[in-house]
Amino acid sequence: MKILVCLKQVPHQDARLDIDGAGTWIKEDGIKFEINSYDTFALEEALRIKDAGEAEVVVVSIGPDRVTQALRTALGMGADRAIHVKDAEIDGSDTLGIAKVLAAVAKEESPDLVLMGLMSDDGNASAVPPMMAELMGVPSATAVMKATPEGDGYRCERELEGGALEVVDLAKPCLIAVQSGLNQVRYASLKGIMAAKKKPMDTKSAGDLGLSGVVGAAGAKAQIEKIYAPVRGEGAEIIEGSTDEVVTQLVGKIKELGLL
Amino acid sequence: MIEWSEQHEMIRDAVRRFIEEEIVPNLEELEHGDLPPYEILRKMYATFGMDEMARGRFERQIAKAEAGDAKEKKAREGDGTGDGAAMQLIPIIELCRYCPGMVTALGVSVGLTGAAIMSKGSVEQKKRWGLDVLTLTKIGAWAITEPGSGSDAFGGMKASARREGDEFVLNGSKTFITNGPFADTIVFICKLEEEGVDSRDRKILNFVLDRGMKGLDQGKPLRKMGLHSSPTGELFVNDLRCSIDHLLGGEDALNKSHGAGREGAKDTFQTERSGVAAMALGIVSRCLELSVAYSRERVQWEKPIGEYQLIQEKLARMEVARMNLQNLVFRTIELSAHGKSMGLAEASAMKLYAARAAVEVAMEAVQVFGGNGYMAEYHVEQLARDAKVLQIYAGTDEIQIRAIARDLLTG
Repeated sequence: MKILVCLKQVPHQDARLDIDGAGTWIKEDGIKFEINSYDTFALEEALRIKDAGEAEVVVVSIGPDRVTQALRTALGMGADRAIHVKDAEIDGSDTLGIAKVLAAVAKEESPDLVLMGLMSDDGNASAVPPMMAELMGVPSATAVMKATPEGDGYRCERELEGGALEVVDLAKPCLIAVQSGLNQVRYASLKGIMAAKKKPMDTKSAGDLGLSGVVGAAGAKAQIEKIYAPVRGEGAEIIEGSTDEVVTQLVGKIKELGLL
Repeated sequence: MIEWSEQHEMIRDAVRRFIEEEIVPNLEELEHGDLPPYEILRKMYATFGMDEMARGRFERQIAKAEAGDAKEKKAREGDGTGDGAAMQLIPIIELCRYCPGMVTALGVSVGLTGAAIMSKGSVEQKKRWGLDVLTLTKIGAWAITEPGSGSDAFGGMKASARREGDEFVLNGSKTFITNGPFADTIVFICKLEEEGVDSRDRKILNFVLDRGMKGLDQGKPLRKMGLHSSPTGELFVNDLRCSIDHLLGGEDALNKSHGAGREGAKDTFQTERSGVAAMALGIVSRCLELSVAYSRERVQWEKPIGEYQLIQEKLARMEVARMNLQNLVFRTIELSAHGKSMGLAEASAMKLYAARAAVEVAMEAVQVFGGNGYMAEYHVEQLARDAKVLQIYAGTDEIQIRAIARDLLTG
């Protein structure tokens, strides 16, 4: 059994974010990064499967040198080896480009199961998991709250709107994108962290994966046009008074605008 | 060492996450509700495998001692990395960002009590008491201070041991004993009653007492200025009878010179003083972080207070202290990497600087926060109260100054 866990390194939730000079991303210098919170639940799920039986857990992440820290943390928590995809050519990829890179890694690794977070804390696109599954040609489920082995695959409970759950069965190999909170993520032990530096970490380029010229800004169908903080508008009206008064006035305004 | 390694940062992040999830939600109860810190500390030990690492170190040490080369440990060699020291200091720094009291409770149990048993005890005594204290299975207390003796710990010490046949009869009162109210294993430091020997010159002995022994009374936690998460109390020993098994080092301890006990305790002081720099770094880092954030957010006369030069001066001084303390911690790790440790004078200088820096920075943080800083909600108030003890315990500032000056004048 081999499990591939896809991790994204994102700015730390407490990091102070400033927009860069080009206005298309944030200034990354001097800020702290961490593993995308959704992906930590995916990693924990993989490590639980490993703890329960025979499984090799391989973690993969795309990005510059700083990404090795996320991978080492995953190794410290118990993953067996890591793949770092590092190539400036990949910079500027859209979600499809990222999915192509991850699918190419999956093709080389042939995992029985791919685990990843439902979305990333910074991009919030939720696009990479289903795209990757399509490119791999395997079944997938997103927003998974629970995954249990069932026959030759997994029975997944997906979170739907309104608190409802949908049950889907996936045959292996498959891809599961987890919702946050499906488990309690473990800590890397000090011994685990010490052992992590001796575990293998391979570095791959776009060329190694047969993707030269295919990914990156040039191949992207979607490009970030601009990032900006919401502009304080002039048309805001502050409703004051007691709670009852505010609610009554607010409902009146909504009705007035024909929204109810 | 010039900066934290990737591995160090991983340890820091993991410990910080544990503290934010397990300690911060309980901070109110720990600081103001008399919640003892031990279960959380045990959970931390288990979570990060610190108990298993302590057990591994213990077993290696015992195996060496049983093979007859216990004396070899003095000539230790560094592994070139200092990872062992870093793994001890990083949790201290991180805990002190929120709860310096927990470091005191932990440090006294494992660092002072455990180390005293492991350095002075026989193999049998180490097995009987050392392992459980080192793994936090049992809580330790190291009882030296008395109502009438603080800085002059040995000279003014009244606690005594009288030999009666195969037994010893112990008497004495101890105060300001960290973990005293809850300790399972207590190292009780006292003087051997020796006829014809002046009280100030009598042999210093270390006995291990178990909770519940007849003649041992452990007082309730004392109310104090800070470090509320570290229970501190009095111990009363009245005609406590114990066999020589409880005397660390047994007959060997009785046959040693009169100065041996004092020198042994000084080794402990040096270790203790080195740890204070890490504690101060945690307090200073957190105070600075909170002060910078507040200086950006707090607006007076239509601009953030961080734009006023008087506030900038405070922040700059805090940053200078943080950098100095971090470099002192780096030096401690680097020395360890090379199998070295600081001499008493250097450790004293480091402790003196660290304690003063922590108090100054924490009090300035209160000032940056103004009225909010004086309120418990903003946390710098607690850190300022906690910081003060660094100038008092493990040797007061005045004692550090004396050690530094003596070294300069006699060296």
